[in-house]
Amino acid sequence: MDENSGIDTRTEADFLTHDAQVDEELLPQLVAHLREHRSRLREEWASRIQEAHLLHAMTPQEMAVETKSVYDNYVEVLETGSVEALQDYARDLSERIIPRGVETQEVVGIVLLLRDVLARSLFEKYQRDFGLLNRVLDAYEPAANRIANTVAVSFVDERERIIRQQQDAIRELSTPVLPVRERLLILPIIGVLDSERARQLTEQLLAGIRTHRAKVVVMDITGAPDVDETVANHLVQTVDASRLMGASVIITGLSPKIAQTLVTIGVDLSKMNTIGDLQGGLEEAERLLGYTVSRQVGSAG
Amino acid sequence: MDTGPALVSILRQGSYLIASVHTALDDSQMVRFQQDLIEQIGQHRSRGVIIDVAALDVLDSFGSKTLRNISEMARLRGATTVIVGIQPDVAFAMVALGMSTGSVPTALDLEEGLAYLHDRVHTGPSAVTGSSLS
Amino acid sequence: MSAGQPADALSESGSQSDVAALVPVIRRFVHSRVSNEAVADDIVQETLVRMLAAAGRVEPGMVEPYAIITARNLIASMWKEQERHRRNQHRIVDLRSPESPDEGLLQQEDKGAVAEALERLSERDRRTLMAHEVAGQDTQSLAGELGVTAGAVAAQLNRSRARLRVEYLLALEPGTALTDRCRPVLFALSGGDRRRQREVDAARHLLECDLCEKLSQPLLERGQRSDGEVRIRIRADADIVLARQTAREVAARLEFSRTDLTVIATAVSEIARNVVRFTDGGEVVVELLEEPRRGVRIVARDTGPGIADVEAALVDGYSTYHGLGLGLPGARRLMDEFAVVSEMGRGTTVTMTKWRQEG
Repeated sequence: MDENSGIDTRTEADFLTHDAQVDEELLPQLVAHLREHRSRLREEWASRIQEAHLLHAMTPQEMAVETKSVYDNYVEVLETGSVEALQDYARDLSERIIPRGVETQEVVGIVLLLRDVLARSLFEKYQRDFGLLNRVLDAYEPAANRIANTVAVSFVDERERIIRQQQDAIRELSTPVLPVRERLLILPIIGVLDSERARQLTEQLLAGIRTHRAKVVVMDITGAPDVDETVANHLVQTVDASRLMGASVIITGLSPKIAQTLVTIGVDLSKMNTIGDLQGGLEEAERLLGYTVSRQVGSAG
Repeated sequence: MDTGPALVSILRQGSYLIASVHTALDDSQMVRFQQDLIEQIGQHRSRGVIIDVAALDVLDSFGSKTLRNISEMARLRGATTVIVGIQPDVAFAMVALGMSTGSVPTALDLEEGLAYLHDRVHTGPSAVTGSSLS
Repeated sequence: MSAGQPADALSESGSQSDVAALVPVIRRFVHSRVSNEAVADDIVQETLVRMLAAAGRVEPGMVEPYAIITARNLIASMWKEQERHRRNQHRIVDLRSPESPDEGLLQQEDKGAVAEALERLSERDRRTLMAHEVAGQDTQSLAGELGVTAGAVAAQLNRSRARLRVEYLLALEPGTALTDRCRPVLFALSGGDRRRQREVDAARHLLECDLCEKLSQPLLERGQRSDGEVRIRIRADADIVLARQTAREVAARLEFSRTDLTVIATAVSEIARNVVRFTDGGEVVVELLEEPRRGVRIVARDTGPGIADVEAALVDGYSTYHGLGLGLPGARRLMDEFAVVSEMGRGTTVTMTKWRQEG
């Protein structure tokens, strides 16, 4: 194949370079055009955004600043072919506008509007040379699609990240492990416990026992309205696991309903250290830790 | 004073024995550890035994059962056993596996284990505040 | 200049270092078009050799397009390249022990084995394979002759090669008794077809059949091993520890929480112990899953007596040795999904899965 392919190669190589040259000339031309008519095109875009009722969460001033940045970033991507800067900007923008309730379709909407505005202006400029127009659009469209895609993906990623962050924060807030004094932790359980939260609670408590070298844990479930069997099982496991790490667990605020659930799943309540309310639980905890309790309530001392 | 290539070390400290597991043990190594420890308890007439399992990767049914066996045999020889160093993830997996029998005392770490034995061995069981899996 | 060492040769002189700069470009170009790594590498090397040879004739600035065109032509004539490559590949086992006085004899045997293997193929398999591999006919023209698509021809060629590899290995083991399960299993392994392997329960057959276990080695070695799957042979106590530690390491790639990793390791410990205690041996396979969610699947297979009453074995306290009877029910509690399939006299397969907690 050597001789033949050698000849073939030459012709095809020429063709390829010719093609590449055209592209290389076109993009700078295109970029120059978009830079030259920057203010007019940007205004047209902004008014299209308003007509479409997009981004109404933003003030006109903010809008002016952001559209300017988006426009410049957009042209820069066309010029350099690199979406990195745009990606960073889109992420940053998303972070700022997501808390204000801007939706995904709005963001995608404005980028597509810009794409149309620019495409239309290219149409006007090159309409007399149909062949050239075709090539301009061939060069423009893939880049424009890539930009739209980048912005949309950045926005959605950022949104997901924020949602995850918020979920984590909420979870942490709802299962705090509080060191009240040396060797003593309080774990107030507030709100509905599903098995995922119950599981996290256990992990946090066990880690907390080690960090604080806790010997006694008061688990107050006054604020937990209801637990199903799975979660009840989980609570019992938490008590057992804490014991394995050398900490005793006192349960306070056990409602008759939850007590019933515990009995149903076969928990021997006499083996669990349960005390009526948090105050009583803390006193019992101090007794276990060997502190003197000044105010004695009932038979707790 | 040891049970092979440094898988486990057993140190004598006064009337206590302190056994530290240094790595994951397979079942036969576990059994050998049990035999060695029981033998030394008898030899030294130990009053208390601390088993530090902080380096164990898991405590499955066999591992837990071996620890309970040791505790029970030590008791018959007049020694109190306390298990220390069970890691949070290991403790979680143990209870999730369903180990709900036995009553081997446990403590957070070596220091707590010594404090536990001190209370228990010198003042008798009634003053004890330590924990156990019941 | 040999295609095996162009990287060193390239840096020798100035004009050649221009060619060296092309390596990433050519590599990208070829690898985006050819999925088989080995073939792609061959083409990259071949392109470089040709570029070096043509270095003086190509005008400056034309080097890159020329290189790409050359690579393109080489890919177009890939079948020719692959003929060489594949002819080596389907020999799978390198029987030539170095400098052995028996070499001639072995070669004779080798040829005989290939001939016998070809003999065992179906008429259609043999004809297509010979036309393609020996006569050098490409898939396109074969497709035209057979009235099917080129893709179908390529698929058939792959199947035929898979069969040829198996028949060749079998021909080297004359006089061994095959069960009717051996061939389907070996074909599935040779073709690297995971789905088919599951259908014929290849993993279990390998535990039961010494011959296939032996032959599976060269067959599996040549295929690309999925690094998402690890197998551990279970025979003795120490293997239990190895199995649980391996499971932990593999699962750690999915960033399971520390607690989950220990939970998984504990479950593996329990089921691996069952294999050691009740059977002559078996294996634990740890596999990462991406679909429908991310997770880790553990399969424990043994060739033991089987469990008579699986339901009873899943109840706490069921134990035939001096354990706590926590083995199976305990492992089930630890994992998200758990299934036991047991056949008396053949063995037991435990399949269990832990999903990654997302969010």
